[in-house]
Amino acid sequence: MKWRKFNRLLHRDIGYICFGLIIIYSISGIAVNHVDDWNPNYVIEIDTLKISEIADSSLSKDELAFLIIEKLSIRDSLQSSFKSSPNKTEFYFEGKTVYADAETAQVVVETVKDRAVFRETNFLHLNAPKKLWTYVADLFAVALILLAISGSLMIQGKKGITGRGKWLILLGIAIPVFFLLLYF
Amino acid sequence: MKRIVLSLLVVFLFASSFNAEDGKKFGNDLTVKEKTLISKILETPNDFVGKKVLVEGTVVGVCKKRGCWIDIASDKEYEKIRIKVNDGEIVFPMELKGKTALVEGEVYVIQPHPEHKKDNEKEGDECVVPEVKYQIKGLGAVVK
Repeated sequence: MKWRKFNRLLHRDIGYICFGLIIIYSISGIAVNHVDDWNPNYVIEIDTLKISEIADSSLSKDELAFLIIEKLSIRDSLQSSFKSSPNKTEFYFEGKTVYADAETAQVVVETVKDRAVFRETNFLHLNAPKKLWTYVADLFAVALILLAISGSLMIQGKKGITGRGKWLILLGIAIPVFFLLLYF
Repeated sequence: MKRIVLSLLVVFLFASSFNAEDGKKFGNDLTVKEKTLISKILETPNDFVGKKVLVEGTVVGVCKKRGCWIDIASDKEYEKIRIKVNDGEIVFPMELKGKTALVEGEVYVIQPHPEHKKDNEKEGDECVVPEVKYQIKGLGAVVK
């Protein structure tokens, strides 16, 4: 088999195998790039309301929990609670935290939902699982290098690496170099 | 080819079904055997600075964006301590809130930033005096 034919075959099949991983890393890459502007993993909703009955200072923590569950019609069972100050108590449910302030009779309900697809892609992209995934990610990185090399050698002639290709490769290298000179 | 790919997918699914653990593990294995009360650490923090401790308590706060810290409730009311991990080394998910965590880590002190103090003095702001804080650098955790 001629080397160029082998190169094309290699590029094609590695490309197919990498398809899923490239999509995962790209989606997550955009998502975590803007972590200062949004939460890439969760959708957090905050609702504030008043429940005048919680202002009763004689209520025990259990009574307060019962009152809140009833008033907010919460169906999940209470996991645990935490008294952060004499007037403030936090109640934890599955995917929900209720902050109760007896002084102001204000209740803040924080509901946390996974941001579908992003949560999973970020989990893999940021190598949260560690273990075997680390080696899968390493292999993916090697595969990307192979894709870059085999891709650049695929076409001969004027549009290949000896013609237009070399200028585009140079441009691709110049972009990160420019930003390194600017910011590093 | 079709048969190979399908066989691999079946193996992946089978292997993933063995992932059920007794509690979710984060970071390194726990090595310290004896638990230390968080209230004890907060009472005399300087006695624990630089020491490895094992603490247990309810997770009452999680870093919302990066999962780089959790707050653990103390055994005493109104108290909690922050477990900070290096970004990316351990990522705590938000669903840990309300669950019980067993965490191993090293107690350390955060000194108020001198520039911050200087700025406050310049502005004559006597209210915002940054305090010395004690945290635990999280190395490993098991959450149930």
